[in-house]
Amino acid sequence: MQDGLFALIRLDLIFEIFSGIIALIVTIYATRAYNLTGQKKLSDLSTGFLVLSAGMFGRVIGTLYFAIQYGVEGPSSTTILSIVTIAYGVSRIMAYLLFVIATRPARHQESLNNENMTGVSLLLATIIVDSNLEVIAIFVLVVVVIQAIINYFSSRSRLAFYVLLGFVLILLSHMMVAMTFTNPGMYLLSQVTQLLGFLSLLVMLVKAGRVE
Amino acid sequence: MSRKRAYRSKMRILADMMRAIQSEGEEGAGPTKILYAANLSHDRLTQYLDELVEKKLINVPNPESDNRIYLLTEKGREFLREFIRMERFSEAFGIEI
Repeated sequence: MQDGLFALIRLDLIFEIFSGIIALIVTIYATRAYNLTGQKKLSDLSTGFLVLSAGMFGRVIGTLYFAIQYGVEGPSSTTILSIVTIAYGVSRIMAYLLFVIATRPARHQESLNNENMTGVSLLLATIIVDSNLEVIAIFVLVVVVIQAIINYFSSRSRLAFYVLLGFVLILLSHMMVAMTFTNPGMYLLSQVTQLLGFLSLLVMLVKAGRVE
Repeated sequence: MSRKRAYRSKMRILADMMRAIQSEGEEGAGPTKILYAANLSHDRLTQYLDELVEKKLINVPNPESDNRIYLLTEKGREFLREFIRMERFSEAFGIEI
């Protein structure tokens, strides 16, 4: 049982490392785009992916260091693992909030800015009302997915489709994590789904980089 | 559903001008062609052309000629490729540059 748990943790961490690396590559790309154009939204996008990758690497390092070094069952490692999990959850919510800001539709900028601030305030209110980080992450990601859908249908571009697919898969992975309480088998599936989401973003990067 | 572009950043205007020059290939583009393709006023066109020449992104093979022709430099071609990459990346996320 213990061996199986460790194997599951290791596989989960490998998926997380790959996802983190892809998030870091998107960060580098968004930073390059920001440096070239000075578009503030690209800076928000870059910061979002940086926070996301930092959270992922933090979770990997934290889990490896405390759980594998000192064992999963010890009371101190359980507390530290809880702290790592909470920090990871908070970092993801911060990243998704930045995605909401970065990917908001550009039309009617001023009126939408006000609407968006209301949206962000509502999301922050949700954090206070509901402390379940996974539910909050799902709620924020739904907004990101809606914005990605709007962008895809207004541009009909294949690259926008990969971004939409990436965010949908990441959202699905959160939903699967939320279902882990009733079906523990969903945990590894959620990690695979998350990795697939980031791979979709990687495909977008490769295709965007192909210029004659 | 088409998207109206209310505001063009300076970087996009410069890229539009360079695209107009590139579309003419080895023959290069004259000011009128660039002006129409980039949708600029004459004053703005002169200002931005000077800036592009100064940054060595375009050059003028015959500066003394009455019919000035502009060509992309290697640095200009590389800049345009990078701009297109970043433009495609940004638009995938719905971010206009």
